[in-house]
Amino acid sequence: MQEFKRKYVVPGDKIVEGNFRLLMNAIRSGNSIFATRIGIAEVGRDGIKVIPLSGVYIPRVNDIVIGKIIDHSSLSWEVDINSCFSAHLPAQDVFGRDFSPARDDMGRQLAIGDLISSRIMAFDRTRDPMLTIQDKDLGKIPRGEFLKISATRVPRLIGKRGSMIQMIEQATQTRVLIGQNGIIVVSGRTSEGTKLSIRAIKMVEEEAHTANLTQRIKVLLNVQEPGSQDAFPPTQTQNGQLEEVQSSIQEVEEELEEEVKKGEKV
Amino acid sequence: MSSSRRSTIIVEHLRKQQMWEAISKGKRLDGRNLDEIRPIEAEVNVIRKANGSSKVNLGNSEVVAGVKVETGRPFEGLENKGALILSAEILPTASPYIEPGPPDEETIELARVVDRGIRESEMIDLDKLVLVPGEIVYTIFVDCSIINADGNLFDATSYAVVSALISSKIPIFKVQDGKVIDSGDVQEPPLTTIPISITAARVGDTVILDPTAEEEACMDARITITTNSNSDFTAVQKGSTGAFTLEQLKKTAEAARIKGIEVRSKIKELTNIGK
Amino acid sequence: MTQTRNLIDEQGIRTDGRRADELREIKITVGVVKNADGSAFIEFGRNKIVTAVYGPREVHPKHMALPDRCVLRCRYHMTPFSTDTRKNPAPSRREVEISKVMRESLEPALILEDYPRAAIDVFVEVLQADGGSRCAGITAASLALADAGINMRDIVAACAAGKVDDKIVLDINDTEDKEGGADMPVAYMPHLEQVTLLQLDGILTQGQFNECIDMAINGCKKVYEIQRQTLMHKYFGSETELKEE
Repeated sequence: MQEFKRKYVVPGDKIVEGNFRLLMNAIRSGNSIFATRIGIAEVGRDGIKVIPLSGVYIPRVNDIVIGKIIDHSSLSWEVDINSCFSAHLPAQDVFGRDFSPARDDMGRQLAIGDLISSRIMAFDRTRDPMLTIQDKDLGKIPRGEFLKISATRVPRLIGKRGSMIQMIEQATQTRVLIGQNGIIVVSGRTSEGTKLSIRAIKMVEEEAHTANLTQRIKVLLNVQEPGSQDAFPPTQTQNGQLEEVQSSIQEVEEELEEEVKKGEKV
Repeated sequence: MSSSRRSTIIVEHLRKQQMWEAISKGKRLDGRNLDEIRPIEAEVNVIRKANGSSKVNLGNSEVVAGVKVETGRPFEGLENKGALILSAEILPTASPYIEPGPPDEETIELARVVDRGIRESEMIDLDKLVLVPGEIVYTIFVDCSIINADGNLFDATSYAVVSALISSKIPIFKVQDGKVIDSGDVQEPPLTTIPISITAARVGDTVILDPTAEEEACMDARITITTNSNSDFTAVQKGSTGAFTLEQLKKTAEAARIKGIEVRSKIKELTNIGK
Repeated sequence: MTQTRNLIDEQGIRTDGRRADELREIKITVGVVKNADGSAFIEFGRNKIVTAVYGPREVHPKHMALPDRCVLRCRYHMTPFSTDTRKNPAPSRREVEISKVMRESLEPALILEDYPRAAIDVFVEVLQADGGSRCAGITAASLALADAGINMRDIVAACAAGKVDDKIVLDINDTEDKEGGADMPVAYMPHLEQVTLLQLDGILTQGQFNECIDMAINGCKKVYEIQRQTLMHKYFGSETELKEE
């Protein structure tokens, strides 16, 4: 039997023969298991999965997504979460139980075009996704640069235990809000830092499935922009400089938390 | 009947802010200057079966145009001129907001504005395309299919039509024994001028040229201005629900003349005219 | 459909220089329509067809949605300049029929139960037609669907065979279609070994029928190799083996 751990596949490709558990994007036919998507097939101890390289975001309960308000009725906001379904944010979630359409102005709280970071509270085959912004760090996003990547690349952008995105944030002095649906908002101290952060994110998106990506991103982040006045510190620094970087990131984060809280206030 | 409706694309508020901020500093989100036009690519003779054809990319807007020459009766009142019939279709491949079906008011306006730019400038000398005066004339069909829509479909479509016509070969028809036959020879199209349209959009108090789809979703008003090889104005159309000041209009008209010269020369180069 | 002239010469060469079992040249590019979720452009002989997929996405109007699976919509359409004489842009009866058989040829390959209440739209636009455009359209649409990340059981490959000068030949071109004796387009899922499209226009004896369908399926297998190569190349570049980081 051929031994392999990972393999490039397209739909219909046979991955392996035998009685394995099907985890994701694979189907059984007879004694063989086939891929249903273009991606990387992995044969692991707990089963077979194909990590997809393309596809629209399909909502999952508990995912954090960044959505755009596109409409509202008297009872909820309609939110575009870059998926095949529109999501809804109930007015009660924001205004509380004793919400009254006559008294509470929905448009004032969240207007069309606003971006929110939210969690998918409910979603099943019979109804559209339902959102909440009640958790910590959720709510209206007041500032930052907006970009979209393919939702299939988000895990790679986050990295193992957040390693990839933290590396990018630290090197560019930015805070990156990532939605599982591929929507990203980047805010930083300097515009050079923000631009570099965005370049790194786009590079991860394009090369997510290739080898040595982490190395190439490190190289990108160490490069200084020609003529830039704010030279950001390389990853290996004196303790003093590192502390400076860390404290300025904390400042930015604290500022943003304040803004988010303001946005959430009734 | 034409009615107001909600805009199809809702641009994120943060993104709009980014756009306004950039424009106030003289730049756009894709890095262009306010009066800069996106890169134009044009390939001709892409459809063998057509008498002339082109595929034009204006940034990410992509249009294919095909010219088919037949014979038929002249238009009423224009008995001694060839007939030129232009149509445009935004294919459902072009964007998530297009639904297949008969053309809507936006598509019809697009086709008519492009047509006006070509017809009013008298780009094709229709006097030279008559077979039997008052009876049989050359009918030139120009059909445009918009494959990907990323703003400024007016100019993208117009450049595709111009490129296709410039590079077309008109079959030479003859009347023999009361029938019209194709002699098998071809002739160069009788061109008199090359009309170039330039579209501008007003975002806040600033006028930008060649808007992308995102910029169009944020604009207040739009205007398309066509100039000919003499830099005379031959067609204008103002669109969208906002307004322009007189000063903005005059400045934009001037920009359209100047940019028209630049784009004309680019299209000539891409279609190898004169080679 | 009676022939008026010889379409194959004494050496067995056809009007475009091919032998009986030769496919025309095929070139496919994936990801060409920037706004679409998936897309593919195919040149199959002189056919030039662009296909785009949007989906899964919301169904409009909402009442058309199905509770337990996705709605698949397919439109085959020819541009006015795609044929010898100019074609009216409004859909013809032929286009309506081809849209239907095309949808029915792709549907068995898609796992539509994975996307309840949503829609997948497949648009096939023929920029230039030269015999076998529906097969070329299905071939490209399959790649556009894979490019869009739709869950598929298999890729659908399509190819036509036909009868010319009383011989069974593979992949008939425009002239052979118009002047030949029979035309049989076939669509096939190569791993599941199932036929999803089969039509016949013309007259075939039983022996010719079997020969024709065998030849078409062999053609589909060859088409599939090109489809697979195209996807691998687009997504994985020249790397065929995965390197561990």
